[in-house]
Amino acid sequence: MPGARQNSGNSGTGRGARSGDRLVTALLFGASAMSVLCVVGILGFLAWFCLPLLADPSGGQLASFLSWQWRPTSGQFGILPMAVGSLLLGSSALLLAWPLGLGLTLFAHGLGPAWTSRPLMALVRLMTSVPTVVYGLASVFLLIPLVRSGLSSSGFSWLAAALTLALLVLPTIVLVLDGQLRLVTPGLRLTTAAIGLTRAQELVHLALPMCGRGLKTAAILGFGRAVGDTLLPLMLSGNAAQVPGGPLDSLRTLTAHIALVVATDSQSAAYTSLFACGALLFGMSLAVNLGLRRLGSSNGASSRMPGGCPGRTRELATALLAQILGWTSACVVPAGVCALLGYLLWRGLPTLGAALFFGDTPPFDAILRDAPVFDGLWPACLGTLYLVLVASALAIPLGVASGIHLAEFATGRAGRLLSSCVDLLAGVPSILMGLFGFALILLLRRTLWPQANTCLLLSALCLALLVLPYLISATRTCLEALPQELRLTAASLGLTRWQTVSRVLLPAASRGVLGGVILAVGRAAEDTAVIMLTGVVVGAGTPGALTDKFEALPFTIYFLAAEHQTPQELDLAFGAALTLLCLTAALFAIARSLRNSLSNGKARRWGAGTSVHQGTAA
Amino acid sequence: MRKILLPTLLSLSMILAAAPAQAGELDAFAGKTGKIDIAGGTAHIPVMKEAAKRIMQMSPGLRITVAGGGSGVGVQKVGEGLVDIGNTGRALSEAEVSKYGLKSYAFAIDGVAAVVHPKNPVNALTHQQVQDIFAGKITNWKALGGRDETIHLYTRDEASGTREVFWEIMLKKGQIAAGANVVASNGAMKSALAGDMDGIGYVSIGHIDQTIKAPALDGVAPTQDNAKSGKYPVLRKLYMNTKGEPVGIVSDFIRYIQGPDGAAITASDGYIPTK
Repeated sequence: MPGARQNSGNSGTGRGARSGDRLVTALLFGASAMSVLCVVGILGFLAWFCLPLLADPSGGQLASFLSWQWRPTSGQFGILPMAVGSLLLGSSALLLAWPLGLGLTLFAHGLGPAWTSRPLMALVRLMTSVPTVVYGLASVFLLIPLVRSGLSSSGFSWLAAALTLALLVLPTIVLVLDGQLRLVTPGLRLTTAAIGLTRAQELVHLALPMCGRGLKTAAILGFGRAVGDTLLPLMLSGNAAQVPGGPLDSLRTLTAHIALVVATDSQSAAYTSLFACGALLFGMSLAVNLGLRRLGSSNGASSRMPGGCPGRTRELATALLAQILGWTSACVVPAGVCALLGYLLWRGLPTLGAALFFGDTPPFDAILRDAPVFDGLWPACLGTLYLVLVASALAIPLGVASGIHLAEFATGRAGRLLSSCVDLLAGVPSILMGLFGFALILLLRRTLWPQANTCLLLSALCLALLVLPYLISATRTCLEALPQELRLTAASLGLTRWQTVSRVLLPAASRGVLGGVILAVGRAAEDTAVIMLTGVVVGAGTPGALTDKFEALPFTIYFLAAEHQTPQELDLAFGAALTLLCLTAALFAIARSLRNSLSNGKARRWGAGTSVHQGTAA
Repeated sequence: MRKILLPTLLSLSMILAAAPAQAGELDAFAGKTGKIDIAGGTAHIPVMKEAAKRIMQMSPGLRITVAGGGSGVGVQKVGEGLVDIGNTGRALSEAEVSKYGLKSYAFAIDGVAAVVHPKNPVNALTHQQVQDIFAGKITNWKALGGRDETIHLYTRDEASGTREVFWEIMLKKGQIAAGANVVASNGAMKSALAGDMDGIGYVSIGHIDQTIKAPALDGVAPTQDNAKSGKYPVLRKLYMNTKGEPVGIVSDFIRYIQGPDGAAITASDGYIPTK
């Protein structure tokens, strides 16, 4: 908070404290600079690979990429069908998820019976913790056969991918809207009660019109999430490189295209075209980012009260529409989620047991003596564990330090630069992070380090970059939410800025920061797209070294969903999905309870009741 | 008593006779350490995985990883030096050999066949029909004597050697309809078709089991025997490729796959060993 920054600790603090202060400030600045460097590095890398396209004087290669036929065997490398596929799938998923999300939020905020509110919001929070690949697996075996038998198609289609993707982005939308409504409604409560409006009338006619910005933010964030996803389109949309003629047709998105084509001759046009895909994808997320920024700057508009008095019939129609929407989504969304997760439990629960994890190997030998395990999940569990540990070790110190720097130290232009870098990085789809890692290794091999190879360390590094923005913004939000009085009091007691941060602010925000850290760990554990391109394999055994290839739970699920050769292998996939779901759900539950206890504690200490950071999980 | 004794003795003697031979071949790996990374052709995966399992059980100091991706991936990864062995389900092009300095080692003969769901009533197709189906000219099973349902096409991505062989020999380099679903491996093709009553795709013959069915082509059943005798025309060899001459455990591994043990694994996975 800018107001607290004038105190510089020159009132009676010792010289040691001040030089220590300078050192820590320098370190924090260093962390921020590193974060900026990472962003610049990634973007520079993508740009550098795209450069030959733009530099080509005839523009022939670029023109050949911006065409409608993808037939590498006859030298046609058009990526436009995939760009259209991404846009179609992203916007259709949003068109499904946004109204449902709005309906669900309204329902939970008073359109529906009061008792439904808590379980509905709990369900939405559970949904944020479901790994993408788990949705994919359940849909492949539940939704695809339904579409196939009901609608005379192969099942792998735009429709199937859009439906599942809608479930994936729905929590983002609901959490943003929920946050907005929570901000708006307390101020209205007394007024509307005095006029004699019902809760539903208050919501639809007063609260909702004041949430215009929230509605737009939710849409933009949801679209960004849908366009950036790789696994669901890859598993469900059929991947034909064509512009679909209808919802039952197969389509291919840019993300899935990169995943399918990445391992190709790295001097070929197909390889270069991937970076054009990457640039297009990045362009889309940049547009999302700019959209959010514009919303952020048009701040005042949303807080005005709605003017005018709508006609009686229109009012009734709106209310009726809201009721229908609310009830529909309150039925459809829980039904969809319960069907998918119930199916997963039904298939996964019977597989749980020692054999699921250790195959034929005695568990003791596997754990203590490192006996090789075949046909079991143990190596994948260990792989995921190591991956998450290394990624955390890389990302957490950097992320938390940058977050502190951004919240308490960074001023003016440097602060704005850092925060826009963080926003940019947060918008980079995970498949691009994987592409970056893969291209980086190829480059290193040709130049500085001929032995470099895709491996655990590379995957962890790319994952660390992926979760870095979450860590930075979680830390920052937690610190900035602390009351200004704390900083002023600390300053008046003669504490230096670092002393204020380390002794007062950080302890006060520690649970929130920890919550953010745990969410980031959960995100690292579930991501599949990054590791797919950077070193994960099936059948590597337990990871031996950082430079080895490795197994991981999410990739095992993805692989077995498509490649299972026996019913036993498919059981293994459902067992793995259940294990991964339990892991991420547990992490999210811990993060949630930490944050709850934080806001309760704060309410007690400072009498501030508002929840600190809604929607950071998105 | 004799009834039990004879088979027991027989099987005992067989085990005794077999054991030294097997141990002998695996002996090459005893006490060795290091790692072998394998990627590429997906028809190869069952053979590679089984061999890797046997070798790693014999000498725990060795780590062998097996990944798929398709033949194109095999060429790229071994050429860039990202893996030690890159598998292909097709012969390398001259450009590929000269560019990366690759050496090829064939170990199996394999056919590629059009396959459908086992409950699909269509049991025979002509060459021309297969071409028309994949070109999108025939779109309903009724035209082929099947149910009145739309045909769901499945194909492989361009990195696939199986696709290349099927496209060159079966489809005579004809067009594959743009709306065909794309799957990433032989295994994925098999499980996709096992779930789709109206689907048609193509897999390595070694992957055919009771979950999918291969209709006869011009009256010839697509079996490995017919492929070996040349009656079934769509066939290729399966190769392991290395960058330069293989050394150390990589060359041991290739020798093992090409040896009697490897041949036994290859045969049990439904392929015809080259030796």
